[in-house]
Amino acid sequence: MNKTSAPSTEAAAMLEKYSSEVFAGIVAPALENLDLSALQVSPEASPDVILRMQEELKRALKKKPEERRWVMVIDLRRCIGCHACTIACVAENKLPPGVVYRPVLTEEIGKYPNVSMRFIPRPCMQCDNPPCTPVCPVNATFKNEEGVVVVDYDQCIGCRACITACPYAARTFDFGETYLKNTPDNLPFLFGQSAADGYERNGAAFEYGESIVREKDRSPIGNVRKCHFCLHRVKEGMLPACVTTCIGRATLFGDANDPDSLVSEMIALPNVMRLKEDLGTEPRVYYIL
Amino acid sequence: MLKKLTYLFGALALAFGLWGFYNRFAFGHENAAYGSYVVWGLWVAMYLFFAGCAAGGFMVATLDLLFQIKVFKGTGKAVLWAALVCLGAALLSIWLDLGHLERVWKVYLEGNPRSLVFQMVWGYTIFGVILLITLYLAIYKPQHPFLKVIMWIGLVVALFISGAVGALLGVNAARPFWHIGLFPVQFPVFSLASGAAMLLMVLGLFGPRDDPNRPQQLWVLSVASVVLLVVKLYFMWADYSQSLYGNVPMNVASINQVLYGRYWWAFWILQILIGSLIPIFFLVQPKFARHNGWAGWMGLLMLVGYAVARALIIFPGLTVPELDLLTTAFSGPHLSFDYFPSLMEWAVTAGTVGLAILGYLLGIDYLPLFPKSTKEA
Repeated sequence: MNKTSAPSTEAAAMLEKYSSEVFAGIVAPALENLDLSALQVSPEASPDVILRMQEELKRALKKKPEERRWVMVIDLRRCIGCHACTIACVAENKLPPGVVYRPVLTEEIGKYPNVSMRFIPRPCMQCDNPPCTPVCPVNATFKNEEGVVVVDYDQCIGCRACITACPYAARTFDFGETYLKNTPDNLPFLFGQSAADGYERNGAAFEYGESIVREKDRSPIGNVRKCHFCLHRVKEGMLPACVTTCIGRATLFGDANDPDSLVSEMIALPNVMRLKEDLGTEPRVYYIL
Repeated sequence: MLKKLTYLFGALALAFGLWGFYNRFAFGHENAAYGSYVVWGLWVAMYLFFAGCAAGGFMVATLDLLFQIKVFKGTGKAVLWAALVCLGAALLSIWLDLGHLERVWKVYLEGNPRSLVFQMVWGYTIFGVILLITLYLAIYKPQHPFLKVIMWIGLVVALFISGAVGALLGVNAARPFWHIGLFPVQFPVFSLASGAAMLLMVLGLFGPRDDPNRPQQLWVLSVASVVLLVVKLYFMWADYSQSLYGNVPMNVASINQVLYGRYWWAFWILQILIGSLIPIFFLVQPKFARHNGWAGWMGLLMLVGYAVARALIIFPGLTVPELDLLTTAFSGPHLSFDYFPSLMEWAVTAGTVGLAILGYLLGIDYLPLFPKSTKEA
């Protein structure tokens, strides 16, 4: 690659356009002497798919909820295994230790020196035929009018039958753990546990559009929790946190009932697959291979 | 003497259990070893075990109180009481396993009839009521014509609820180790086997010693228990051998964990050697089978084997990842595919067992469960 004296601001602008701002800020200085004009941008990344998906989201929100069909498309060719989506999800939903909505499965292929890595982000599949909902004894988990599988925290009794029924291990149980557990408290000149854990407990998350205070014996502690496609963000016209933060634009989101949407284009590709299709769960998460 | 020692054992188990109950209520599920991958642990296994004993106990009680088989005369009330105590222990175990145990009423008033958990909660509630009515009639109004009617109803309900336990696991298509069409058929047999072993233990260890029918009762029960145990082992052989030949990786992994993996000792030592081979060896010999002590202790060993068998159905079905790479995808507390019960879980189970032991002993001391006798164990 030819080296030029491209200024860092140009590199940052370039990366900001095609990646996340945080990543751009971190990486741009390292690219100072690179010729960015040599970068090849794939057709679906131009114009920025985030902008396109946001426009499509606004369009979809004008429809009746039952007329939308939210789907997620994950382009495995573009996933670099940075786990930013996992962390963004944890931050967005303030997930406690032991609760995860979107881990990234990492597979090492081959033997040295012919080694490569494969990454498979695994959100909830939001199945159209979910095995997890009929097993719930109190109808606490169900598909809402938009087809997203949700959990009513105030209804869930915590029997965990839905976790055993899910073929994707997409549900986790909130055991009431906190990051500040076993950390010191009441130290002079330092903020101790009780002062610091306000972040973890008060207004802990806005899942399902509610401000949830995390207190002992109160929901969501003792409940089953899962990915909900960040419905609280979507309702406000924002893409799910994992989509916004994906630096490779590998995760796409939108209304599959809109024939002009990006996700509609992507799921029509021949190289699309869904996990464990043989189980008949009809997942709404598609992977591009 | 044996009864006093059993009282002491029950009291000690309960004392240990009180710490477990405190821990469970004070810290919720934080100190449990089960997690989001192995979601059901020791308490669910003990629920299956005790529920099986309750249903099986009722089935065995019908031999005396419904079908009036001569050799079982006088055994019905004692085993019905044992069934009631076991039902209480089962419901306590599963209740403590809930994330929000104060919301259990929702299953009754806001339930989903399609759910097997819903069906079982209702089934066990109805079964509990039937048990109470049956026991009352058997003790205080044994000639009442409604006794036989309620026992017929109870027998059908006992078959349903024990089959439903099998279905609860069997409907999980994502878990081939559980997804066995015959589970709802197998579980009533497991329950009957547990009931027979329980009656053997009860009669052998706590029944009046001067009952002239006792040696014959114990011999018939021993033969029946051994036959049922062999049938259970055959079911297991059929499941395991077909699965291994079928070679579905997730299924084979579960079975390998039982046979050679992390649970090998529980399977080979507790379930096969102590819970199966030793009881079979003694109970097929009339001189041991007719002996109160030998028969009673062998009944207890069989029950230990059945409890371990329940655990070895639950745990290996969950300790194999649904997606291979999950084990390393994200780390945190309660995100592990390894499972061995924590001290708190053992304590709660000990407390439940202690309560069941004390409850049973108080029943045989203060209720007329056995025909009048001058000499007890």
